[in-house]
Amino acid sequence: MADILDIQGLSKRYGAVQALDQLTIKVPEGSIYGLLGPNGSGKTTTLGIVLDVINASAGTYQWFGQPTSKSTKRRIGALLETPNFYPYLTGEENLRITADVKRVDHARIPGVLQTVGLAHRRGDKFKGYSLGMKQRLAIGAALLGDPEVLVLDEPTNGLDPEGIAEVRQLIISIAAQGKTIILASHLLDEVEKVCTHMAVLRSGKLKAQGPVSSIMAAHDLVFISGGAPLDTLLQIARTLPFVTEARPVNQQLQLTLRPETDSSELNRAFFSQGIALGQLVVRKKSLESQFLEIIKADSV
Amino acid sequence: MTSLLRIELRKLLPYSTFWVLLVLQCFLLFIFFYARGNVMVNGQMAGAELYQFPKLWMHLAYVSSFLNLIPGILIIILISDEYAFRTLRQQVIDGFSRANLVQAKYSVILLLAALLALYVVFLGLGFGLYHRQDTGNDTSMFSNVQAIFYYLVQLVGYMSLAMFIAFLVRKTGLAIMLFMAYTLVVERLIQWKTPDQIDQYFPMKTLGALTPNPHAEVEQLMLGVTETLSPLQALAPAILYVTLFCFLSYQLLRSRDL
Repeated sequence: MADILDIQGLSKRYGAVQALDQLTIKVPEGSIYGLLGPNGSGKTTTLGIVLDVINASAGTYQWFGQPTSKSTKRRIGALLETPNFYPYLTGEENLRITADVKRVDHARIPGVLQTVGLAHRRGDKFKGYSLGMKQRLAIGAALLGDPEVLVLDEPTNGLDPEGIAEVRQLIISIAAQGKTIILASHLLDEVEKVCTHMAVLRSGKLKAQGPVSSIMAAHDLVFISGGAPLDTLLQIARTLPFVTEARPVNQQLQLTLRPETDSSELNRAFFSQGIALGQLVVRKKSLESQFLEIIKADSV
Repeated sequence: MTSLLRIELRKLLPYSTFWVLLVLQCFLLFIFFYARGNVMVNGQMAGAELYQFPKLWMHLAYVSSFLNLIPGILIIILISDEYAFRTLRQQVIDGFSRANLVQAKYSVILLLAALLALYVVFLGLGFGLYHRQDTGNDTSMFSNVQAIFYYLVQLVGYMSLAMFIAFLVRKTGLAIMLFMAYTLVVERLIQWKTPDQIDQYFPMKTLGALTPNPHAEVEQLMLGVTETLSPLQALAPAILYVTLFCFLSYQLLRSRDL
């Protein structure tokens, strides 16, 4: 599959602050790509640069294999940071301006308003909207050009639980149409529930990237016990090439396996040593603990 | 450019601030021209002479030029609003280039200047026809009407400067203060210390030269002779300044994050 967005060595410096440091990621076509990181980790800076509103200090990026231009912009729908509209205009009038800028037929406006659930408020002024409605209007504006790629920066910000669920459903249904979605969020839960791929940022540095399933599986913990004294198990475990870490925890042995190692391989290894394990439990780390581990790594 | 103007009109027409300032400007233009003609000079109404074609056009352009700050302030508000609403940023995300942003605002400047110039022409026709004296010498009503064209260029110049300042400082209040400080005070202070041969090419003096005081002789008698360009001479440097302000605005947008 082709890459929709190819970012090479992107850096941004604000005075003394290195907001983004040599970021290189590729967003594959059809993926829901989560950009995950705590506040101030460089997510919005990254999106701002690829959306052509922030100048990069170094590095390059390409959309659809070409440098950014008016024609690439029309294939992208984006919501960056805040909903940006004229407060004294109605929702519908604001979308007319967006449609004109994108050169989209105004006939699409009612449908989009319907999609984001604002049809009944289309004649009200934007300044009278609640935060959730503003956010939904911004998503509607992003959908106007029927874009191939949707870039959403914290799309569930300010929404109530119902609104959050609606936006997630919307994202999944848009992705089901084969569109690519790039989603920045500090909510792990959101990324875990929605995304197929992810990149984790901390202080402007890339900490991990890849399909969500592989990042999650990469550091599974295995707990074993029984069949032999704990010390024996420990000694054997430490000789195994695919075990990266082994330590006793609560009468059990906690093992960390090399990425893409199957736990049955572990069982086989012990069996060949003449030990039948009494218990073998694989515990997938939640994305949350995963995430905290990734962002804590080499923060010391 | 027309599609850019259409988008700008979608923002402008429902905007009450725009209408308030536009109506205020039109009202003040009327009042200024009316008041100037009703000043009593030696027990005689000045208007009688002031409102006669074709001299009227020069008077009208000169009087109107005192009110150029309001259209400039309007432009500053329109641009700093876009920063406050972050809509410039959204429009670049949605497909505008930096150049489009400047072109769009420049199209508003041209439209406003044209509207005001047209209004002033009607104002002149109104006053002129109302006070027309049948003197027999039938000079055309529209000779010397080019004074209004110079006024139009002057408006474009003031508003282009306002646009540049708005893009530069991005905050409404600060931009308006800077605009007024430069046009009313700062340049005059610099002119004071600069020889005439040079300061006649300064932006405000060049733009001012487009609408000279019809009573220049009296003024010079009182304030001393200063060298100024004739409107025709000032035209090229004025247009050069407009181009410069547009170009600088574009460079600002290009070099900074939105």
